[in-house]
Amino acid sequence: MDFWVTIIVMGLSFSVLLFMLSSGLSLIFGLMNVLNLTHGGYYLIGSFVGISIYKWTGNFLLAILAGGAVAGIIGVGMERGFLRYLPGQLLDQVILTMGFLFIFTNLAKWIWGPIPQMATPPSLVAGSLRIGAYSVYLYHLVVIFAGLIIAIVLWFFQEKTRYGAIIRAGIDNREMIMAIGINFNQVCAWVFFLGTVIAGITGVIGLPLLGAYLESGSEILLYAIIVVIIGGLGSMQGALAGSFLIGIIHSFSKAFFPALAFFMMYLIVIIILLVRPSGLFGKRS
Amino acid sequence: MEALRVEKLSKDFGGVRALNDVSLSVAAGERRAVIGANGAGKSTLINLINGEMPPTFGRVYILGKDVTGMPVYDRVHLGVGRSCQINSLFLHISVLDNVLLALQATQPFRFQMLRSISKYDHLSAKAQALLTARGLWEKRDVPVVDLSYGEQRRIEIVLSLASAPKLLLLDEPTAGLSASETSDIIELVRGLGRDISVLFISHDMDVIFSIADRITVLHYGQVIAEGTPKEIRANPKVKQIYLGYKEA
Amino acid sequence: MKSLELLFHKNRVSLGPYVGVGLILILLPLFLSPYLLYLAAKILIFAIFAMGLNLILGYTGLVSMGHAAFFGTAVYVGAFLTVHSGIENFWLVALLGVLAAVLMAALFGLFIVHLSGAYFLLITLGLSQLLFSIAWKWRALTGGDDGLPGIPRPDLGLPLPMGDDTYFYYFVFLIFVGCFFLLYRLTDSPFGHALVGIRENESRMKILGYNPWRYKYVSFIIGGGFGGVAGVLYAYLIGIAYPGDIGLMASVMVLFMVILGSPGTLACPLIGATLLTTMEYVVSIFTPERWPLILGAVFVLIAMYFRGGIGIYLIRYWRKLDLGHGSPKS
Repeated sequence: MDFWVTIIVMGLSFSVLLFMLSSGLSLIFGLMNVLNLTHGGYYLIGSFVGISIYKWTGNFLLAILAGGAVAGIIGVGMERGFLRYLPGQLLDQVILTMGFLFIFTNLAKWIWGPIPQMATPPSLVAGSLRIGAYSVYLYHLVVIFAGLIIAIVLWFFQEKTRYGAIIRAGIDNREMIMAIGINFNQVCAWVFFLGTVIAGITGVIGLPLLGAYLESGSEILLYAIIVVIIGGLGSMQGALAGSFLIGIIHSFSKAFFPALAFFMMYLIVIIILLVRPSGLFGKRS
Repeated sequence: MEALRVEKLSKDFGGVRALNDVSLSVAAGERRAVIGANGAGKSTLINLINGEMPPTFGRVYILGKDVTGMPVYDRVHLGVGRSCQINSLFLHISVLDNVLLALQATQPFRFQMLRSISKYDHLSAKAQALLTARGLWEKRDVPVVDLSYGEQRRIEIVLSLASAPKLLLLDEPTAGLSASETSDIIELVRGLGRDISVLFISHDMDVIFSIADRITVLHYGQVIAEGTPKEIRANPKVKQIYLGYKEA
Repeated sequence: MKSLELLFHKNRVSLGPYVGVGLILILLPLFLSPYLLYLAAKILIFAIFAMGLNLILGYTGLVSMGHAAFFGTAVYVGAFLTVHSGIENFWLVALLGVLAAVLMAALFGLFIVHLSGAYFLLITLGLSQLLFSIAWKWRALTGGDDGLPGIPRPDLGLPLPMGDDTYFYYFVFLIFVGCFFLLYRLTDSPFGHALVGIRENESRMKILGYNPWRYKYVSFIIGGGFGGVAGVLYAYLIGIAYPGDIGLMASVMVLFMVILGSPGTLACPLIGATLLTTMEYVVSIFTPERWPLILGAVFVLIAMYFRGGIGIYLIRYWRKLDLGHGSPKS
């Protein structure tokens, strides 16, 4: 039974990472019509910057801030300098963002070298916790708890605040939003910035779980893509549902049939797309 | 046989009922105008007849056949042709290629993969005829995006005729055209044989009264009047709604 | 009717420049070293690979990031048949390899070709990676990250030494010419013109009476077939099947080749394949570790400043434009 609990907890902590990453990817597409395949690259940047800061200062919180900040700055640079000139042009966006992903990955290799680095969680949240008869890693629980808080905050933001309403409306009907006088460009820039900051932070949070390694950019991007397809582009609930599903499935398949893990998920994607071509919560075109 | 019959057509968009219980029948060879204020449901009606969206309730019969479930492209092969309210052309290819694409659509060789398109002489002859009739033959190699709005609108109409339809649906064919361009379109429609039936939407009274045999008036998604132009002109309900009409 | 033939002459692609290029390609073995000839054969094979994607993307408008799925399938089938099953006859291997690629395209195309732009892109990306992960993990079948080595040069059943780079090059060249002609006929046909129509304005095509799904599906399968042909040849060229041939990296590379060469033009595949392969070769001489970085920078450059690709500039230089055969975004 211990075994099952471990799988579920690990799965859920991965779900949290996926949610933080894919919600940004999904929202940016829904709002700005930009498919940003570099999103995994911000995770990569965050994780490497974070692990260096963590190793130099021993301060995990500082590492989180640093990872988020660097990723955010780079993200803004990419958006203001390049992406904003390619609105709606899918092909060009894909080439551009893939190009930046290659650049960041290779730069990381140049700066940090090809060997993956692991990190142990800060002592405050390290170690195991006994819940009744079961033993789980405390850090996993912390991540899950943090994810819950973030999901609630984001839900509140989206449903209850004015800015959330603007974003929801913008995803639904961009011309209308611009017509009623809201500075849409600014909203987009802010959403993009926040999305990349969160991706960077996720990279640091993921350090005790996955470590810092060069393939993380494309690997986690792939998972985020699956989540976003299942959940539907442009939907926060979709990202949540998709992350939950994929995190659990990923964990279970790794335990029972590791070779078929990706295959299982792809099959689920196809099935869902057959029934709902825009994903579970996606915009019906 | 009627060219077109719609029975109790209704269409909901979310909470809005754009079309409510609309029934009408267009006889073979008839020219029917559909008029109404903006938002009255005219374009929705054409979209339902055309097959671009399914009705919420009701049925559509084209040339005697129930086409209610049929996708857009299949209806074309029954004999429907349509021009769009907003020009929907292939902007970056030549005028000639636009027309060839339209002509090819109802030909059996439209799936031909290995024979050059230049081998189909009757296709090019027909294209020449269609374009010459509208004075566009000299511009056949010009990319459509480089034409004036009026010329593009003419291409839009040419495309709708390419399949030699028996039921022609024209959605505001003269929108945005100059007086002479409008006359040209009126002449075009009047010149069509009575083997073609026409249903058209328009706001231009000259166009309507020059062409229409009968007029259907829509208001907030419902038919409020139907009859000959003379009858409609005298109809008090219609006069009440359209204050801009001159007293007959 | 003669005047009507003339009216089409302007719209039809003039084959003159292509014959000229063909002559150059024929004469290459005279002044290239064996290694460069090997590279030239590689370029021609990638050009065939890119032809498939050019049809799907350039002419039909479907942005696929998984084209390597079909290429890689053929590579592995070719490798498997020659190495594990010991089949020596090239034609049999080629037939089965291409068939595998076509079936793969037919199977997946069925479920995804109706999807809109971004979803189609993402799911083709996923397909490519799915096959990659199978190739990587299923060591028993594919050799995992060690690959499947030991593919000999093809036995054509003719007394021609395919082990000799020159002979193999001409063999590849002949197949390349055949594929080029096939693509030329396809794009010149009513079917090909309809593909362009679907790319330019799908909803109008429906109103005109076309069923876009059929055209997209068929072009997807044919494109996969071209990828399969290239895959079989590639297996024979380099002698080993490797997961990298089937994954995202390969899909991105062929995508970039198509974009570099200006999608929707006949010259696109060869131009793109030549430019990219040459770039990689040159960089590998000076700074091989920085190749992804440089490649990424070129991606950014092309996406920002040469959105239609470089091909159109080269074509204009020849002073013959592919008018009416699809527009590079200019």
